[in-house]
Amino acid sequence: MKKILMVLVLGGCLLSGSLLIAGADKKEAAQAYDEDTYGPEAPIVWVKPVKSVVFEHKIHTMDAGLACDSCHDDLFEMESGAAEEKDDFTMATLYKGGYCGSCHDGSTSFASNTRCASCHIGVRGHDRLNNKGGTATKSH
Amino acid sequence: MRIDDLEQMESEDVNTLPSVERRALLKFGLAVTGMYLGGSILSLATVRNAHGSTIVPEVGKYPYSPHYSMVIREKRCIDCELCKEACAKTNHVPKYGFRTTILEKRRALEGNKFETTFMPVLCNHCNNPPCVRVCPTTATWKDKKTGIVGIFKPSFCIGCKTCVTACPYNARYFNEERRVIDKCDFCFESRLSKGGTITACAEACPADVRVFGNLADPASRVFKLVHTPETIVWVLRPETGAIPNVFYINA
Repeated sequence: MKKILMVLVLGGCLLSGSLLIAGADKKEAAQAYDEDTYGPEAPIVWVKPVKSVVFEHKIHTMDAGLACDSCHDDLFEMESGAAEEKDDFTMATLYKGGYCGSCHDGSTSFASNTRCASCHIGVRGHDRLNNKGGTATKSH
Repeated sequence: MRIDDLEQMESEDVNTLPSVERRALLKFGLAVTGMYLGGSILSLATVRNAHGSTIVPEVGKYPYSPHYSMVIREKRCIDCELCKEACAKTNHVPKYGFRTTILEKRRALEGNKFETTFMPVLCNHCNNPPCVRVCPTTATWKDKKTGIVGIFKPSFCIGCKTCVTACPYNARYFNEERRVIDKCDFCFESRLSKGGTITACAEACPADVRVFGNLADPASRVFKLVHTPETIVWVLRPETGAIPNVFYINA
């Protein structure tokens, strides 16, 4: 009798556990990233004029609530990599309110001449993105 | 021995010890304690000569002229590594070695975020260089005029790598091709000795992180940067007593 009770209690615990996990999965699924609404999920990495700057649509659209037309097509063309082909894609332009500097001006969001390494991931960050999970290939 | 005989014997417990003997023991104990105590008091007193708090030399007390140094404006570094490229090109640094490199620090912020800081490192051209002290052949030397630490006599280098181990900043590597230790010499051989005034890395830096110059010259930018009021200036591993000449600021 005792054994049967034990099995029942254990079974109950396991069942509720699995239900909880399933519930969590469902919750996550509800918050899934929708590329059609929020833009490409993969980070945009610019390597010109310097290596490397990262931009994530998720942070700006899904998290910050910006709409696509906040930046496209006035500040940035839809085509990826179009901006970095232009000669004026520099910090100097950003300080004058161009490209990212349109919002990163110190009032809407942090100014472009502060918190450099928030966007500049450098050569190290670039390498890390390129071999996800693997350790950086650089020895130093 | 019988119990009756035992009762007749003189007691050896502490109550019967003569006071002279007790005093002698106490004196001995105090002497031992006093010696250790005196020692620690002495070493506390000598700390005054260590100058541990002064990272930046006092104005007018620069041992070299020109006193070459570099100021790293750390938070501006974006790890574009143009400095590394320029250095490797100028000084023929092989892929496996480095004269300067960029380290990365990560600090956790609230809400699963983190802040990245890139930290350029190079030879600190210490005033008291541990690498020079250990070199058995005097191949590496601190130039008496400029204070630059370099392998000024490469033919003397036997590749024992003792200096590599001694350096607190990991600023040296063994050049396999030349069979000589190689390190940053503030571009002395490639530029300064040929009339240049700036290192390749400082020239290549697009973010104005690396400022190179003569610390002994009050008109120089390095002097102004490290002597600006309310600027926090720090050096790497000050506890080694090497007295480095690469200063870090966040201004």
